[in-house]
Amino acid sequence: MTKIEEIIEAFQDADYQETLAMLLDYSENLAPLPEKYIEARDAGFNRVPECETPVFVWIDLNDGLVQIHADVPEESPTVRGFVGILVDSFNGTTPEEVQSAPQNLVNSLGLDQKLGTRRMFGLSAVYNRIKSGVKEASGLQ
Amino acid sequence: MAEYVHPEVLVSTQWVADHINDANIKIVESDEDILLYEVGHVENAIKIDWQTDLQDQLIRDYVDKEKFEQLLSDKGISNDTTVVFYGDKSNWWACYALWVFKLFGHENCLVMNGGRQKWIEEERPLTKDVPDFPKTDYKVSGTNEAIRAFRDDVVTHMDSGNPLIDVRSPKEYSGELLHMEAYPQEGALRGGHIPGADNVPWATAANEDGTFKSADELRSIYMEGKGLKEGDDIIAYCRIGERSSHTWFVLTYLLGFDDVKNYDGSWTEWGNLVRAPIEKDFLK
Repeated sequence: MTKIEEIIEAFQDADYQETLAMLLDYSENLAPLPEKYIEARDAGFNRVPECETPVFVWIDLNDGLVQIHADVPEESPTVRGFVGILVDSFNGTTPEEVQSAPQNLVNSLGLDQKLGTRRMFGLSAVYNRIKSGVKEASGLQ
Repeated sequence: MAEYVHPEVLVSTQWVADHINDANIKIVESDEDILLYEVGHVENAIKIDWQTDLQDQLIRDYVDKEKFEQLLSDKGISNDTTVVFYGDKSNWWACYALWVFKLFGHENCLVMNGGRQKWIEEERPLTKDVPDFPKTDYKVSGTNEAIRAFRDDVVTHMDSGNPLIDVRSPKEYSGELLHMEAYPQEGALRGGHIPGADNVPWATAANEDGTFKSADELRSIYMEGKGLKEGDDIIAYCRIGERSSHTWFVLTYLLGFDDVKNYDGSWTEWGNLVRAPIEKDFLK
């Protein structure tokens, strides 16, 4: 079972309050953006344009393994928590594993059902950007 | 300097701090981000979510009377409780929740001026403790649909030339975008605005610190600027009726218009309606 599959299972078993608690946990544990990216972020580079919240993402490959760095403001804990899930599941895995993650991750996690569909567009956009970013960085077809 | 017409609906952060343990007052936080309350909130504040608590999850409507009664009873709110709303984004969502409370006829509704932002900027304390108030037996005595416009009301209103305020961003109003800039472009098949509507983006009524602009400034924006005058019947709309509830609050309580309606169907209904007339200023 991959990390993302484990997380999906945990979310599927969670009720509303547990879902919020897990998201909050991921939000609080999202690693701060490394120093070397701060200047680029402040200049507006690498922003996910479709998301209302200012989300900045850098994707690298380290010895062939995925390394995602992201920045999400603390006033947007839902988005921050979701990005935290992605960073936690995908960092250190292969690009192929990222590509094999479910197409509609937001639905697989049950977030659309529990948090309401109107909030989900930005999350899907961040997810798609990260997936396509990994694809691009690794040269996968 | 002119005063707001109903200044009593606004309370300061200090007032809230002084009334945190007042049994007849309940503080309600409503945010765009469903997790913000969990990050930390005003002591004794209750969370009410605009979407999962107040909207029906099947039909595009608000919850029914029974569900609203259940919600407020569970939260420990009684019919005579004074509810003070606050939230993120200049109280945009707080005004939305207040408007829904008013739809169900809840009498005493106040707004903490400046909302969550001002409270935090003043370095006032936040807690993660969720209060557990004794349950009540809340009863909706009568709904107040006079503050809500449905599409047929909008058609009649438009045909009679009554003022319509489109509170979306200028690019949504002109038809260039279907949603706020940087938000996903979804929800409506056509761009533009309801014929005759004037554009006053909702945040025009808010200061940088999240508080409402002064009565003089609001008069100059809506009355001198857009020609609204005493006695006007007004309908405000946006994309789904949330931003326009902020404007509804400003027009109703701060400027004192007696007949203001929020069209919650808003552009995601009108911009999808077959044969609905549209004005579009942005032409490629």
